[in-house]
Amino acid sequence: MSDLLVVEDLTVTFSTARGPVDVVKDVSFTVGRDETVGIVGESGSGKSMTSLAIMGLLPKGAAARGTIRLDGTDVLGASPRELRQLRGDRMSMIFQDPLSSLNPYYTVGLQIEELYRAHRGGSRAAAREVVVGALRQVGLPDPERRAGHYPHQFSGGQRQRIMIAMALVCSPSLLIADEPTTALDVTVQAQILRLLADLREQSGMGMVFITHDLAVISSIATRVLVMRRGEQVEYGTAEQVFAEPRHDYTRMLLDSIPRIDDPLDEVSA
Amino acid sequence: MTLLRAKDLTKRFVSRGPLGAKAAFTAVDRVSFDVRLGETLAVVGESGSGKSTTARMIAKLLEPSEGTLEFEGEDVTRAKGAALARFRGNVQVVFQDPFSSLNPRHTVERILMAPLVYQGIAPHGSRRAHAKELMERVGLDPDHSLRYPAQFSGGQAQRIGIARALAVNPKLVICDEAVSALDVSVQAQVIELLRRLQHESGFSYVFIAHDLAVVRQIAQRVAVMSKGRIVELGTTAQVFGDPRDEYTRTLLAAIPRIDPEWERRRRERA
Repeated sequence: MSDLLVVEDLTVTFSTARGPVDVVKDVSFTVGRDETVGIVGESGSGKSMTSLAIMGLLPKGAAARGTIRLDGTDVLGASPRELRQLRGDRMSMIFQDPLSSLNPYYTVGLQIEELYRAHRGGSRAAAREVVVGALRQVGLPDPERRAGHYPHQFSGGQRQRIMIAMALVCSPSLLIADEPTTALDVTVQAQILRLLADLREQSGMGMVFITHDLAVISSIATRVLVMRRGEQVEYGTAEQVFAEPRHDYTRMLLDSIPRIDDPLDEVSA
Repeated sequence: MTLLRAKDLTKRFVSRGPLGAKAAFTAVDRVSFDVRLGETLAVVGESGSGKSTTARMIAKLLEPSEGTLEFEGEDVTRAKGAALARFRGNVQVVFQDPFSSLNPRHTVERILMAPLVYQGIAPHGSRRAHAKELMERVGLDPDHSLRYPAQFSGGQAQRIGIARALAVNPKLVICDEAVSALDVSVQAQVIELLRRLQHESGFSYVFIAHDLAVVRQIAQRVAVMSKGRIVELGTTAQVFGDPRDEYTRTLLAAIPRIDPEWERRRRERA
């Protein structure tokens, strides 16, 4: 079976007053159906730009070259109209801050319903039923009533569940999750990670999970891409990257993680 | 020796509803703890647990609704004027976001000397020499003393914040999520710096954090807060190794961990 997502020699260039700057350089990886690939890096590593390039959501002044194919469709060569078709339908994205991705003036049910009908059409009543089902699937209690509430009426963890419901309402084959648990408390983070893993498994979609947190990546990804300053430092199975890192930078990152299970060493004077 | 004693500290915030009805919210509810000279006490909790409100009360940036605060045996709960100035000379704060807590239009030298100016303390030697000495202590290039905060990276800016806290030679430094905004490699360096500075100067830290793994690397004792109360307080070894409270156990279990087998193999190769 062919890969779901193929990224080959992806380079993202910003044109600045001082000339072009490559923020992503020659990055290549694939995502199979039914797997999670983690992209990990510190700030400025280019991990978010990589995901925005896949979604065709690069900011003004940025250009991507190389190859991005989703299920055989050329994403980089797609017209704006074709991209709008792909987004939300065959690929979806969730972000760190759900509040900035939701419109405060509309109920969450209506927002998901609009997205669904834009892609699938059909009656409002039919869409409403799908929306309530999606909200139930992400574990939101009392979804019939809660669909009529506004974004501010939910907690941070619930809002992220709503974003996930919105991302999955059209059953995409690829979900890109960009730091989806970074703003959440650790107990809520554990629930959301569990939910994403379960939903991915049930639906058989592929997932790209972007984070700065190596422990989070190790718990959810089957393969891991380590990025630094726009470059691909290391790419392998999670086991290989964590147990047998090949690159000094990966080793340094792993050595930097504060150990929850290790006691304090003496200060080396 | 007890440096700081918080006794039944309580903070209620009162808001007015649409019809003028008052509603009170108790953010911190009868919190008590001691900070000993030279130790690091961590206060951990999730958002809304009251840990930052507690930090602001013991830093005297916020008046408690009830309870008392003692510093070196003196009641400073309502300290004003000279007594408050003396307290500020002993207790300093390092904040989470270095850029929003450093004046962008002041040079590093001016930022570092500001606490001395407020305190009316003369710097060691010239202002410039003292600023350079502080910069060296926190691992910054002293030749950069006339630069502005925006010319530094996040980790370097946090070092400026730490240097500023040390300018008056305090006995207690309150770190409010001081390493939370930093990349993991930079975070490890700043934690190492904080530990080295304490080792050299013997002051105490109250270390406010949501990240338990970070806390484990720096604290000797830990207070776990939930819904405005301390649910567990003990040595770091006890709280992490043998947590007694149900909430502490939930919190510890929720932390993502790298497969210990992978960790073991990686270390064997190193």
